Amino acid sequence: MRESTSIFAFPIVLSLHTIGLGLIAGLNVALNLRILGVAPRIPAADFRFFLPLMRCGLWVNVTSGLALLAAYPTKALTNPVFYLKLGFIVVALVILKVVRRHLLIEGVSLTVSMSNKARILATASLLCWTGAIIAGRLLAYTYTRLMVDSVPRP
Amino acid sequence: MVNFQLWLERTLLSVEWVARFMRTEWGWPIVESVHFIGLTLLFGAIAAWDLRLLGMAKRVPIAAFHRLVPFAVLGFAINALSGSMFLMTEPDQYLYNPAFHFKLLFMALAGLNVMVFYVAVFRRVSGLAPGADEPHSVKAVGAASLICWTGVIVCGRLLTWYRPDPCDPSEAIGFLADCILR
Repeated sequence: MRESTSIFAFPIVLSLHTIGLGLIAGLNVALNLRILGVAPRIPAADFRFFLPLMRCGLWVNVTSGLALLAAYPTKALTNPVFYLKLGFIVVALVILKVVRRHLLIEGVSLTVSMSNKARILATASLLCWTGAIIAGRLLAYTYTRLMVDSVPRP
Repeated sequence: MVNFQLWLERTLLSVEWVARFMRTEWGWPIVESVHFIGLTLLFGAIAAWDLRLLGMAKRVPIAAFHRLVPFAVLGFAINALSGSMFLMTEPDQYLYNPAFHFKLLFMALAGLNVMVFYVAVFRRVSGLAPGADEPHSVKAVGAASLICWTGVIVCGRLLTWYRPDPCDPSEAIGFLADCILR
């Protein structure tokens, strides 16, 4: 991809990574805001209809992310911020799994006793996605080595 | 057009405190992160709404989903603000960048689409019973919106590949050669 004859290979993969981000993180943010009390007329359980779309966004990003990693492996793997980004994503996905199992079930509505735990999870998820996005953007600024044989950046 | 671009470039550069902040070590990366958070909010909310218009999750009343729209507006506001900060710092990198021109075009089309929706189509949507099939006009608006915002994202990411050489309007000849006639 780095040496592709098409000058569009890299920007296209990068665009896919951004669109996938919008689908998985964007819809998860909408779900979290719903749990936190925004748009109360939407039944929270109905967000399960968007799970396939979020899964689709996730796989778009796993695939495009691996392609980006394969293009500049040293750049990412030598940067602690990259592992921070992965950590944030893993935690956010685990939270989504818990929320899905306990909340996004047909007929289940947010009850008062459930909503306190759910609010904590939703807040944590919001923070994780925000962290993942910031860490992702910072990858372009914080790397120390572009290639394995390149001189470290000061 | 060139005169307009030159005027715009000078006007944008006149807001010096923004550029001063953006050129600090963390200024640009921070604003870029904010721009991506706004993007996520805008695209996530609008994609969910568009897909509902296209017929996904039919059982949920459209009126309920309409409440997601303010989040898209919030995301857009965040991005208009953070985006203009990039422009005030390096205006030539955007005003003479074809990817930026297309990005603006897609945004204008998306805006037009929003107007068409509220002027002509919204009445047909709000009265729709849950589970009912959406009229074709509703689906067309949803599809157009998805395409436009995807176009905005792609053009935004393409900006880096079409950056012009730095242009200095005070050096008329070099500016013409490097930035306009290139």
